[in-house]
Amino acid sequence: MKAMSKTIIGAAVALALSACSTTPKQPISELQTARAIVPQVEASPRAGVAAVNVSDARKSLDAANQLMEKGGKVDDIRYQAQVANLNAQIANEKILEAGAKEEIAKGQAERQQVLLEARNREAEAARQHAASLEQELADLKTRKTDRGLVLTLGDVLFDTGKSTLKPGSYATLDRLANALKEDPGRQVQIEGHTDSTGSAEFNQQLSEERARSVQAALMQRGVSGAQISATGKGEDFPVASNDNAAGRQQNRRVELIFTDEQTRQRVATDQ
Amino acid sequence: MNITLPRLLAPLATVVGLAALTACGGVSDMTRQQVARSETAVKQAQAAIGNSEAGAVELQQAKDLYAQAEQELKNKNETRAQRLAVQAELQAQLATAKAQNAAARKAADEVLASIQTLRQEAERSGSNSTLR
Repeated sequence: MKAMSKTIIGAAVALALSACSTTPKQPISELQTARAIVPQVEASPRAGVAAVNVSDARKSLDAANQLMEKGGKVDDIRYQAQVANLNAQIANEKILEAGAKEEIAKGQAERQQVLLEARNREAEAARQHAASLEQELADLKTRKTDRGLVLTLGDVLFDTGKSTLKPGSYATLDRLANALKEDPGRQVQIEGHTDSTGSAEFNQQLSEERARSVQAALMQRGVSGAQISATGKGEDFPVASNDNAAGRQQNRRVELIFTDEQTRQRVATDQ
Repeated sequence: MNITLPRLLAPLATVVGLAALTACGGVSDMTRQQVARSETAVKQAQAAIGNSEAGAVELQQAKDLYAQAEQELKNKNETRAQRLAVQAELQAQLATAKAQNAAARKAADEVLASIQTLRQEAERSGSNSTLR
């Protein structure tokens, strides 16, 4: 392209110097170039974006060819060929530009599509995470209540009168912790409960300590403290009779209440 | 000359023919207008190109051709002034077209690159990618 432009300059200078030269005996390089490039831009499927330049290029090339046949002046032939070449080059640039703009339009549409697909995938992943927590909680025999899903950990996880978790509880806690980590929007409220054996003060304290043990165990497994709260409810909320051993065993428990954003809003509205 | 030349130049652009008609007299308004148009085209090319590389060479050539056309106009060389001005105008238009094509090409490459990046991110984050 550079070389061609230099030729044009050179030709322009030659034109100025040799205005009186006549019929060519040698081939004229500008005309040869025009004969090669004008049909190329004419054949382009996007030639329409440079219709005027393409048509001007053809007119000048035809004029140059005619002058050549009739033995016209070299300078005239050269001039027409140069005009044809310049128009063909302009047309070529416009055609390339139109192609690039089509790529941009197509690319932007494609980009939207890729973004949309990425968002859909993220939504699907989030849904699967949420579903996996639901599944975990269902496996752990939770109950659905107005306060949210409630999971009851029985007293078999603790030694009598102690708040230290027994190793038998670890598998359950691991699963709970994993499920909570996958769903950081979930909150869990841990409540300790006891039977009515012993003093109310002792039971209150024991229930608090057991709730805190479960909280600590979950945090050790990587759950964010912001997701967990722990309280002791003492002996005041029995779920069964304290008159027999089986009932008392049911009352000694730690409850985990799971809430999501929706449940919290609903509970807040109800209050 | 005025009798034989127009027949010979009949297939040429009208302006060239008219330039030939008046070749022996003073410089025609048409030629002056053509030189003025080439000056405008050079200014437009200058504005379109700014500091960009694409079209810079063609712009310089257009400026040179315009300067020559001006000179020929002063020397009352009608045909030469006319032709140089036509070439200057086309050369300036070529400079503009080159700059615009380069800008569009750059924008297209950026869009394509951003899609590539998005795809790579999508492939890293999602294993069940359905992207082509």
